[in-house]
Amino acid sequence: MIRNNILCSISTKGRYFTTLPLAIAAVINQTQLPKRLVIFDDNDEPQDMRQQSVYTNFFQIMDIKGIEWQWLWAGKKGQHHNHQISNTMGYDWVWRVDDDTIPEPNVLENLSKYCSDDIGAVGGSIFTPSWKMEPTEVTGLIDNIYQEPNIQWFPITQVKEVEHLHCSFLYRAGVADYNLGLSRVAHREETLFTYELKHRGYRILAVPDAVTWHLKSPTGGIRDTHIAELFDQDEKIFQNTINMRDKTIVVLNNGMGDHIMFKPVLKDIKNPVVFSCYPEIIPGRSIQEAKDLFGDIEQWNIYAKMDQWHWTESVEKAFRKLYGV
Amino acid sequence: MIIISPYAKPLPKGGVNPKNYPYWTELLKLIREPVIQVGVDGEQQLTQDFRKNLSLSDLAILVSQCRTWISCDSFFQHFCWDLGKPGIVLWGQSDPLIYGHPENINLLKDRSYLYHNQFLSWDLIPMRQDCFVEPERVLAHLI
Repeated sequence: MIRNNILCSISTKGRYFTTLPLAIAAVINQTQLPKRLVIFDDNDEPQDMRQQSVYTNFFQIMDIKGIEWQWLWAGKKGQHHNHQISNTMGYDWVWRVDDDTIPEPNVLENLSKYCSDDIGAVGGSIFTPSWKMEPTEVTGLIDNIYQEPNIQWFPITQVKEVEHLHCSFLYRAGVADYNLGLSRVAHREETLFTYELKHRGYRILAVPDAVTWHLKSPTGGIRDTHIAELFDQDEKIFQNTINMRDKTIVVLNNGMGDHIMFKPVLKDIKNPVVFSCYPEIIPGRSIQEAKDLFGDIEQWNIYAKMDQWHWTESVEKAFRKLYGV
Repeated sequence: MIIISPYAKPLPKGGVNPKNYPYWTELLKLIREPVIQVGVDGEQQLTQDFRKNLSLSDLAILVSQCRTWISCDSFFQHFCWDLGKPGIVLWGQSDPLIYGHPENINLLKDRSYLYHNQFLSWDLIPMRQDCFVEPERVLAHLI
């Protein structure tokens, strides 16, 4: 099944004149083109690339090929913030491409072949040229994340259902949210995001014949800071989330009336762990504890969700959609 | 006995909550039975009997004793719905299809008055008196 309403999203920093042009060239030479390419420019001193002839040519080629394109000055808060914007731009699918990667020309076409109604994300192999790449048995299960390397680092010879992906992939938009509580290094953001898609009932696939080359550019990069504390903080959020993987996390950071409207929904949620503002209405742990555990609770903001969904039905039904019941 | 809950939660930045019904004084003059106002400290007293800061359990007991109730779009309408006690909700710019309950009498003057974005903070929405139904229309549903 080939999907057409696909946004390609690249976040970039420090790579205007190294690997970013290679990534853009690879995107616009795909056998299946995305509907739009959006580039989030996270550079400390962003430049107007319309003054650069290579980029001018890229923009003209995209115009000729009918690829809409957009260059956005990003907020310098980390790539997860940029990806969350892409996630909610109204496209059915988003193809994440790193700014130091070169997807082979058939990647988007082959990834999108798998995008049936029960699929949440699809990823292919991500090869680093200097690494030895031999088929290796990797489960892709979240329980094994500390024991095995990422499945995308190796040749993928057959379709394999996994629980998470870690790098460039195509995903169903507007279903799960990126955790915006992660630091600007956004350690584990891809894993948390794809696992959330899995948690919401969608299948995650690692598939063959979709190779992306990762140049591992030594300079620049969206994660160009290496502060250990930030990685530790993100790792803690990751562990707190994974430790509750058999539960449904419910966060009610809203008014008393909203808590009452949520009451009939709670009965239908399996294994809920509730954080609530009004425990006299919905018993639960404190909102501050939810913030401490997960870093950010915006993904449970029912008003932001209703706004995003252009909601016209009852709040109770919106809660049901948010919690999948 | 009728309960009225005239006011929605105060806005964080102050000012009048646009969900508040502006014609309570006129409406109360038309009602010919005992009325108890419920609310919290800081709200204007409109009736002789004003029960403030009741616990949820005391509020539930009071609701069980009333013939019916009238409220703006606030916590109280959800609370009574949860208790299974239908009443009258006075709507202005918030949408009863989103925030209301069909078990209640939802008095909305016209959907053209609904604010175009229903999910903004009420701090950002201007007060409009003309968007609410007249007291006489409320009274007609009270009898």
